[in-house]
Amino acid sequence: MAQDTAPKYKFFQSDPEKVIAELGKEKLLRILKEMLLIRNFEIRAESAYQQGKIGGFFHSYMGQEAVQAGAMEAMGKEQWWITSYRCHALALLLGASPNELMAELYGKVTGNAKGRGGSMHFFTDKLLGGFGIVGGQIPIATGAAFTAKYAKEVLGTKDNKKGDVAVCFFGDGAVAQGAFHESLNIAALWKLPCIYVIENNRWGMGTAVNRAISVEPIGEKKAPSFGMKSYTLDGMDFFNTYAGFKHIFEECKKSSEPVLVEVIVERFRGHSISDPALYRSKENLQECMQRDPLIIMLKTLSSHGLINDEEYQALDKQQKEIAVASMKFAEDSSWPDPITLEEDVFAP
Amino acid sequence: MPMQTVELREAIRQALDEEMQRDPTVFILGEEVAEYNGAYKVTKGMLDKWGPKRVIDTPIAELGFTGLAIGAAMTGLRPVVEFMSFNFSFVGIDQIISNAIKMYYMSGGRFSVPIVFRGPNGAAAQVSSQHSHCVEALYGNLPGLIIVAPSNPYDAKGLMKSAIRNNNPVLYLESELSYGDKMEIPTEEYLVPIGKAKVVTEGIHVTLVSHSRMVLLCKQAVDELAKQGIKVELIDLRTIKPLDIATITESVKKTHFCVVVEEGHTFAGICAEIGFEVTEHCFDYLDAPVKRVTQRETPMPYSKVLEKETMPTKERIIEAIKQVLS
Repeated sequence: MAQDTAPKYKFFQSDPEKVIAELGKEKLLRILKEMLLIRNFEIRAESAYQQGKIGGFFHSYMGQEAVQAGAMEAMGKEQWWITSYRCHALALLLGASPNELMAELYGKVTGNAKGRGGSMHFFTDKLLGGFGIVGGQIPIATGAAFTAKYAKEVLGTKDNKKGDVAVCFFGDGAVAQGAFHESLNIAALWKLPCIYVIENNRWGMGTAVNRAISVEPIGEKKAPSFGMKSYTLDGMDFFNTYAGFKHIFEECKKSSEPVLVEVIVERFRGHSISDPALYRSKENLQECMQRDPLIIMLKTLSSHGLINDEEYQALDKQQKEIAVASMKFAEDSSWPDPITLEEDVFAP
Repeated sequence: MPMQTVELREAIRQALDEEMQRDPTVFILGEEVAEYNGAYKVTKGMLDKWGPKRVIDTPIAELGFTGLAIGAAMTGLRPVVEFMSFNFSFVGIDQIISNAIKMYYMSGGRFSVPIVFRGPNGAAAQVSSQHSHCVEALYGNLPGLIIVAPSNPYDAKGLMKSAIRNNNPVLYLESELSYGDKMEIPTEEYLVPIGKAKVVTEGIHVTLVSHSRMVLLCKQAVDELAKQGIKVELIDLRTIKPLDIATITESVKKTHFCVVVEEGHTFAGICAEIGFEVTEHCFDYLDAPVKRVTQRETPMPYSKVLEKETMPTKERIIEAIKQVLS
């Protein structure tokens, strides 16, 4: 069994009281609902996969919901968003419907990418993908940040249709790729407003992070070598991710300088659906599931009288029904017409 | 029509300059393109004219700046990426293949990638194994990419303008040995369409198909054979992908013989593709099997004696034509 000993992190200091006061009940319950939708979507999609309705690779975001939910709430949908193959949550948060996403997983014509992308390649107008090669999205995000800067400085665009910043998620495993090093170097050199977020779930498939990356904590140690600032967030705690990303976003907008964020999370599943995670002890997994981001959020909200268990159950049930309905939508949708196979290889 | 005599590098520069004038989203990036004025002086004077925000020197990080440019193209800009040599594109090849080429299809038509990758391709003079690759067959295997390879300044300018305006990734292949080639071209704006081959010399005895710098060797062969009474129809592909097979088949149906020439290697090369397609479309018209002249199956050697031996030559082309006609 691989050693899995986390280093001492300097977590961003946040106060749930302040976040609650800032966002208020209505927004907080909406965010909780979005996180529950992600969880329920992943659970239903997994079951559809087990039934043979979904093929290919499938990487679940279960356990990491508070990271992208916090980032989205803090920075807004106008930014450029980019992530790895573990992309279901980001698409949902950016407003892609559960129906179109489930239909994409089923390979149906009503799918998010017309049944051409599958689980690893979801898109919205502001989601540049779903990228299947580890670290492959990091230069792309850097380019989106380049566009944000170019729009302001060369095109003279006043509104932020081209976004203020680009937000790039990738796993701890991607830090070993050359794309990480090359992108961060250029972003720092050219002062590109890119927020690089390492979602450190401590495993690159079955390889523990300390067997792949030579230094830890990754963010705190790597950022200074690029002349960049770094922040470390607790990815299981929405109140910390929200407060942290809010602070980082404001700073990045003002300075137009890139920043490296390391978010410590737990992956509740194997790397992908075909990975039973035998390299990980049951005790370790049970221990980390105690810190379920949904439970943490529920506890905090209920201790402030913003929700009770019954209301939570009702909210959960409602999201489950949406996810189940998306399976029916996908099931009932048509297959792509084979006659369309060769369409869209080239843009008009 | 007012005309001007320009080198091939100047023809490309004019195209870049005109398109930057026409569209503020067009910008140039690559190694040494700005302050150094380009390793082969294609971008000479452009930094002075357009400034460092649109003519951008990159670090030596092909993966990083290639991906950055693709990301910029996905978000509304039109980058022209210079590879100092296409050999260096291999360092960034994952970005070109996995991201630029696949994106429009994979995203269900949501994100197009209007980007031009340009730079010298193929052998120069004794630059050995790692600096002499012909990349067109390697990249040509992948759906979603346009590949153009002009052989002269006129086509170079017109094709570059079309490439920049195209909404897809375009590989624009140049040749280090051709940058100084001069030609009279119009002063006024013109475009050369992508996907259209050109009949360089009309003939009746055999069809000769080639692209890029090899067209010049083919011309020499054509001239020499003309003296011997053999009239060769020479076709310059100009665009390799999508291949203008119609122009080729029309010619082969007339001449009944076909020889294909490329600077790249034999196996699974551009000649292999054209030869197959000609057989598919013109089997009943052919009076002999299609023949090809290519670079032999070795890494590029340094010694000039060996280099000459592996590359197609005028003599090898003439010999191949005589063989098919005999």
